[in-house]
This record gives sequence, C-alpha cells and structure tokens, in this order.
Amino acid sequence: MVKIFNISFRNRVFTASGVFGFGLKYRRISNAVGAVITKGITLKPRQGNPPPRIFETPGGLINWVGLENPGVDVFSKQIIPELKKLKTRIIANVAGFKVDEYVQIVERIGDRVDAFELNVSCPNVKEGGAAFGQDPDVVGRVVTKVRKRTKRPIIVKLTPNFCDPLNIARVCADNGADGISLINTLYGIAFDVSTGKPLIKGGLSGPAIKPFALYCVNRIRDIGVPIIGMGGIMTGKNAYEFLLAGASAVAIGSAMLRDPWAPIRIVKELKKFMRRGEKAGDGRRRLKKI
Amino acid sequence: MSSFSHKAIIQDNTWYAPDIFCLKVKLPGIEPLPGQFFQVRVSEELDPFLNRPISVARYERSVLHLIVRVVGRGTTLLSRKKPGEEIVLLGPFGNGIQPARIKSVIIAGGIGVAPLLHVAQHLRTSKVPFMFLYGARHKRDLILTSEIRHMSDQCAIVAEEGYKKHRTVLQELSARSFDGFGRAYACGPRNMLVALQRIRLPMPVYAFCEDFLGCGCGLCLGCAIRYKGEYKRICEDGPVFELSEIDFNG
Repeated sequence: MVKIFNISFRNRVFTASGVFGFGLKYRRISNAVGAVITKGITLKPRQGNPPPRIFETPGGLINWVGLENPGVDVFSKQIIPELKKLKTRIIANVAGFKVDEYVQIVERIGDRVDAFELNVSCPNVKEGGAAFGQDPDVVGRVVTKVRKRTKRPIIVKLTPNFCDPLNIARVCADNGADGISLINTLYGIAFDVSTGKPLIKGGLSGPAIKPFALYCVNRIRDIGVPIIGMGGIMTGKNAYEFLLAGASAVAIGSAMLRDPWAPIRIVKELKKFMRRGEKAGDGRRRLKKI
Repeated sequence: MSSFSHKAIIQDNTWYAPDIFCLKVKLPGIEPLPGQFFQVRVSEELDPFLNRPISVARYERSVLHLIVRVVGRGTTLLSRKKPGEEIVLLGPFGNGIQPARIKSVIIAGGIGVAPLLHVAQHLRTSKVPFMFLYGARHKRDLILTSEIRHMSDQCAIVAEEGYKKHRTVLQELSARSFDGFGRAYACGPRNMLVALQRIRLPMPVYAFCEDFLGCGCGLCLGCAIRYKGEYKRICEDGPVFELSEIDFNG
C-alpha cells in the first residue's frame, strides 16, 4: 500500500482516463491497479466526434474521440453503484466546458468516488478542454470553485500544449489542488496527401511522446503536491523513469490499446525496479519517502 | 495471459495473390463465429504501435485462417512471418453472427471475401443453400476461386480487369433475381456497401464493417459508426450491422 493525496492505494500504477472506459469490463485489471481513472465525465451525455477517430503514427496514435460519455447523471445513478463493487480506488475524470460545469459535475458525484481528476486539457473539444488548461486564471478559478464543494482530493490534469505546465501547476497548488496529472495528449494532425485535406486532428499519445512527458513531470517535480505521471508508459522500467522524474504514481494509457493487460504486467515489473532502486541506495532512495 | 490473449505458433503463411496472404495459426479451444476478428500483434517493437484487426476466414481442426491484404507497413510485416514463429493474438472480439438457416446470398468485394468465407463454411456445414457473388478490381486479386465455386450452390466470380467478364460484383448482382432468398451477407470496400445500400435488396443485408481500431475490445471508443441514429463501436457492437441502418455519412 502507498499513501498519496492522503489516501492509500494498492500500488502506484493507475489506468489513465479514456482507454479503459469505467473499468467495469475487465474487472481483474481494475482490481490489480492502484486506481481506475474513469473516462471523462461531462454534464450532459456526449456522442463524441464523427469517424475517423484514430490514426496510427510512428510509436503511437492520434485520437479524436471527443469525450464520448453518458453524462454525469447516468454515471451517478448507474455506473457508480457498479464501481462500488470494484476493489480499487476510483478517480472520476471531470470535463467541463465552462467553469461552473466542473462544480456541478463534482457536486452531483459527491463523495462517492475517491478523488477527482479535473480534465482541463482535452484537445478534442471545441470549447473548454485544452484551451481552458492553457490559461492559468481560468484553471485557478476552476480549482478554487471545486475546492469549496468537495473534501475529496482534487487532481488537475494538465496540458503541455502551447503553455508552460509549471505556471499552471503552481496556480493549481496555490488554489488548493491536491495533485497534478500530466501529460494529456499532445496536439497532432495527419494529412491525406491524395486529397490535401487533414485526415485527423487530435491528441497524440503513445511511447513517441514519453521523453517529453518525462520532461514535463521533471519540470514540475518541486511543485509541492504529488504528481501522477503519464505519457507513453509501456513497461515497468518506463513507469520507474516517471517516478525518478518526480511522479508519485503513474497512469497507463495507450499501452492498453496494444495490450489491455499491460497494467498488471507493469505493476509486477515496477516492483522489481523499485526493489533494485532501494538496494542501490543512491538518489533513488528518496522514492521510498513519497 | 488471459482468456482472450493468446501466444500461438504460425503453422503456415502462403501467398494467395500478389498482395494477399493467408496466415494459419494453431489456436485450440476457441469457437469464433463469422464476423469475429482477432487483434494481431504485428511487431514486438513499438512501431507499428497498434495491433491489426484481422477477421477469421476459417476455423478448422483448431487452426485459424487469417486472410490478409498488404496495405501498409503493419500488414507487410505480418506477411513476412514464418512458420514456427510465435505470434500474439487478442480475441476473438466482436459480435459474430450465426448465419440463419435461410437460403442466402453472399456479396464479397476484394479482401471483403475473407470473413464471408467463414459465413460460407457455416452455411455449408448446416446444408443451407447459398449464392456466392465475388468480385475484385483485377483478376489477379481473386483468391480461392475454385474452392468458392465448389462450395457454393450458385456462384459468380467477376473482375473489372483481366477477366472474361469485365464487371463489378454489383453489376453481377443487379442482373440476378433473388426469389426464395432470405438473407444477404456483404463485405467489401465502403463504396460497394454504400452502393449496395441504394439497391435495397428484398431481404435483410448484414454488412461486415471495418475501420482502424484502437483496442478492438470496446474500451477506447476509437471506432465509431453511425447506426440507428447513434454512434456504435464497430469492434464491440459490430462489426456486423444491418446495412439499411448504417449512416455512412456518419
């Protein structure tokens, strides 16, 4: 067990938002990880974007799903009771298009989840989303308002797109956030050269973005609140690199598209790396304190 | 490894056409239905990153037949796999269908023939008569023609080039009557399915759809198709849908 945001988790490996639905389909995976971070939940149900929604790129993919989800009411009434049966922590990913929507969604969910991840960084929606997350004032307002309505830990998921996550992370920590998740996907676009038109414009993820994700985590490591690091983690070794960069936990995203069982493997592999790190007794020892 | 994650040994990899090959993999203990598919790991390296969705063309004596057309780097790498090599497959995924015991017509365009061979195999086994209409762009793209002729009660195989009759599978279809037929199964390029939808055959037509898939098992919401007015996941809600209810302009 590890304690992060003042709550205990089975381990430091979480499933990232968007690649694992609500964690109800493959419960063995949900019950093996430290936490399931749910698919982004919006105030109203959303159909998502028209196809194509996925485009493979070297070492990753661009997605343009567009926050398809059943909305907070269905989540509260139908999904939370099912989530309660899982033996894992549930972190609800909350996506608003206006500041007040975050507050409303968090209020409707109440304290029936273990923590909230405020998604101020989705690249695939017209309003809100990443444009929100690039503006320290707006993010500050979201965090301040949500903070007043919940005692549950608030984690803010940041974008690294066209802004310095360090500035935004500072604002989050100053306004009462308990943690930071990063990175959300990078902007990406692919063209069809035969028509000259874009094939897809969305969020780039996968191992191709890992060095940049590690850089971002490392950049905000002294922010003073725990960090959930994510971006292209495929192995326990990769997860360990994020811990070295300054994260307290990691989330597995795109790897699950290739292998839905990746989180279970990564939990095992990471354990070995942490044991080795403890024995090495160098700078890695500080990991024990996290 | 879980119930749907398999490490299997390749038994055979044979070219059926200049760019179409059949990968045979020993995989006991599964009973895939027509329409179901596997997510095949192309490489243990991280590029290409995603698995490739390949439909089941046949399952016989514990051997899975996957018929694949080379379209890019992923399928090129698959074509180079050698017998004896190990391969990772996830599946079977998707809602397959148990073909109804009604006289049926199969409409295959190009590599769309692959999952329909599995339909034909099922119809044959349950002694249901069927007509097999199969077309490709060029004669050289047609595969397993004598086998198809042999297994079907009625059959037409056409190509737009290089063949005695220069026609498309839909031209062939328009020239025929379907008295007594009660079901159709279709798979082929998007244009073929769109045109087939306009023809309005006097029977339910089940279309086998394809797309770029992310996870293949309903988690990522990456494969959307507009069906009966809302987005459905091709991988989990399909890949077989009733053709008349699909909105291809999605």
